[in-house]
Amino acid sequence: MSLTLCSPTLCLYFSLSLGLSLWAVAVLLVALLCLDPHSRVSSAPICTHGPSGCHVPSLADLFDRVIQHSARMHSLSNDLHSEFEQYFLPSKNSIGKIYRKCHTSSILTPNGKENAQKLAREELTEVILKLLMAWRDPLFQLHQSMAHQQDFNSFSSNKALEMGDMTHELRKGVEKVAEKMRVLGMLGNSVTGLSPAETMLPISDSGEAMSNYELLYCFRRDSNKVQNYLKILKCRIIPEHDC
Amino acid sequence: MRNSGAVLILIFIVKLISQAAGVSAPGKPKLTSCRSPEKETFTCWWEPGEDGGLPTTYALYYHLENSETVYECPDYKTAGNNSCFFNKNDTSLWVNYNITVVATNALGKNISEPVEVDVAYIVQPNTPENVTAVVVDEDQGPFVRVSWEKPRTADTRSGWITLLYQLRVKQQKDKEWEEYNAGMQKYYNVFSLHPDTEFMVQVRCKPDHGFWSEWTQTTYIKMPDYIPRQRSLWIIITIFSVFIVLILTWTLNVKRNSVKLCLLPPVPGPKIKGFDKQLLKSGKTEEVFNSLVIQGFPPTIDYDDLLVEYLEVYDNEEQELVLDGKDLSEDCIKSKSPSDCDSGRGSCDSRTLLLEKCMVGRKGSGSDQHQYSQHGETSWASTESSECQGLEPGSPESSDGRVKTWPVVFSSPQPHHHYQAETVKPVYHSVPEILNHSSPHIMPTNYHHLHHQDIPQQEGRHGKPACRHSQSYNHFNLDGLNTPAPGVSPSRSLEYVEVQRVNPENMLLLRPLSDPNREPEGSDYAGEDYSKVKEVTSNNILLLRRDTSHHCVDDYSQASQCTTQQPPHPCKPVIYQSNSGMPQEGMRVMGNGYVDSTVLMPSY
Repeated sequence: MSLTLCSPTLCLYFSLSLGLSLWAVAVLLVALLCLDPHSRVSSAPICTHGPSGCHVPSLADLFDRVIQHSARMHSLSNDLHSEFEQYFLPSKNSIGKIYRKCHTSSILTPNGKENAQKLAREELTEVILKLLMAWRDPLFQLHQSMAHQQDFNSFSSNKALEMGDMTHELRKGVEKVAEKMRVLGMLGNSVTGLSPAETMLPISDSGEAMSNYELLYCFRRDSNKVQNYLKILKCRIIPEHDC
Repeated sequence: MRNSGAVLILIFIVKLISQAAGVSAPGKPKLTSCRSPEKETFTCWWEPGEDGGLPTTYALYYHLENSETVYECPDYKTAGNNSCFFNKNDTSLWVNYNITVVATNALGKNISEPVEVDVAYIVQPNTPENVTAVVVDEDQGPFVRVSWEKPRTADTRSGWITLLYQLRVKQQKDKEWEEYNAGMQKYYNVFSLHPDTEFMVQVRCKPDHGFWSEWTQTTYIKMPDYIPRQRSLWIIITIFSVFIVLILTWTLNVKRNSVKLCLLPPVPGPKIKGFDKQLLKSGKTEEVFNSLVIQGFPPTIDYDDLLVEYLEVYDNEEQELVLDGKDLSEDCIKSKSPSDCDSGRGSCDSRTLLLEKCMVGRKGSGSDQHQYSQHGETSWASTESSECQGLEPGSPESSDGRVKTWPVVFSSPQPHHHYQAETVKPVYHSVPEILNHSSPHIMPTNYHHLHHQDIPQQEGRHGKPACRHSQSYNHFNLDGLNTPAPGVSPSRSLEYVEVQRVNPENMLLLRPLSDPNREPEGSDYAGEDYSKVKEVTSNNILLLRRDTSHHCVDDYSQASQCTTQQPPHPCKPVIYQSNSGMPQEGMRVMGNGYVDSTVLMPSY
């Protein structure tokens, strides 16, 4: 009959291919429908090849990213600090809690809104960078000491590690922002890079190394400062967005 | 030494006295909370202890971390009683404040526990302001848009503080609030609220690190009455159903014939014979049902009639046994019975036999009726019943359409009356035809009606035998139906008769063998079915003779030596006349001289 033209194997192949193609088309359709482009978190890549052929993030985007970073950093530090306080310092003895200064106290930071607003952008940026720089090594030490001690669980030590990495990333980001601003002409050239000699060591006046708790305490404060300063900077430079 | 000792004793005495008087140094105050609304100023509140009965003053002292300089609270008034307000100048962020409160009265003072405060972490903003809720009507349905403003004191413009908002909604009757996080935006759309109800809305805010503010005052909003419409779904459903309806209609149209056949099957008309549909339409039910009534239907068979009971044979001197050759079914005589019937058996192939006889007998027969005449007739009766009447009701032989009657045995001992059977008993076949064809006086069925009118003239007559043998003849008046004969059932089952006796009138009384009422007198005939044939005369007359026991005269000439018990039993000549003249063939002569009388039954 009419079906003799098609041998069984040929028919089988034909049907299989048809089915596969249909299935592939269906999958594609589903993927297209389900993947809402608007729901995706668009991450604009940092162009290494320059502005050509690449989406260059705007200053606003950079600022947003940086601010998100700092917020994350601060929340981590806050969590660690409260954990420390909960498990290792049951007594809420406020007297004599901190006997030593933070090592970053030598950095002059504005401690009020007016003071912060009085600072120029360049200075503010520099302060931020200084702070972030000052905490690179201590955070590494903190992580090391926390990892070695049996008191901390792995979760805390991971947080410390993440905190250190995030600080590093944040610094890089802020540097990029500064660069961008400098390119855009918002920043003057008065910002100078940090000299390696100014790296501070978290050594207190008495020469003793600070305890972990003290480090956490200090870092929590400094991360708050950084976040605040960044917000001020952003709203000063790009006032229309979330300000 | 003495002075110090004296002072001590004095103080001790004073204390004792004061305690006895109920006054004492103040209790220990307690700092309850410190809050900053905008991260620029802050306020601390304390709780005073017992005042000890004496007026007590409170003072707040603080010192910053890593500094020993103690400052006193700059403002005790602004924030109210037992509070200390730190203005912008005195507020430093990211610096720990060590705050204590000192209560002092005449008898002493008391210092509260110190509290460390970092202003950056005690931020609790004021409530949001200008909360407004508006109903917005859209295609999807109305919803509520709640909008507010930031608290006045919070400076979010410069980025110094970042506020996150939260609102909550509930109906008046609900217990639980429904909370929504608005983020940093200052408006929010609330969907899916119940129509025609009033809702309460509240908003609060929080800095990114800090405490939640208080809830605002309740804002009331009333949802309008609306019917939720989901237009797109209804459109789809409508289109789909229309599509399906179209397809169904088209399918029905294509297959309308089969649908019609299925839904409205053709009603079969009535198929009753004789039923007139027109009568039904006319609406006269009487006529309709009358037409259904068949007279005499269902045929009731009078089984009594079927039984051959008695055959009366009359011996008439004047008349001789005349056999009308025409009437007699000489054909019957000579007809060959295909079966090997004994004379004793009643119904051997009687049907076919009768059929043949019918055919034959009819040829010569004009009328079928056996007329019966009264007394003086002798008649032979044939026990054979014929059913030819029923078989060929519409035989063309009957010129006048008379029903053929058959020579059947008289069924009852009553000689005459029974002949006139009143009942018309058609045993077979359609009565209307019988009715139609019958002349008013017909239906002689079970009886021979012997007509002796023409007998003496017709055939050859024999002289009167000395022995009066009863002659029975069958005169079948087939020509005319002069005398009305009552209807007699035409068919009889085949049965043998025996002569019961001969009455003084030379009547041979026959009776069927199966008659239960048979008189014992004829017991000698009980087992006897047969009549012995004496001889056959030349003119085809069978002379039967009685049993030897009865010692019958078997000859004309012989005087009967009949027993007195019985009527003279002359020899009973069974005379059959066959036209063809070969009686011997027609009858079967048994070996011992018996004749199978069944063969000789004339069939008409």
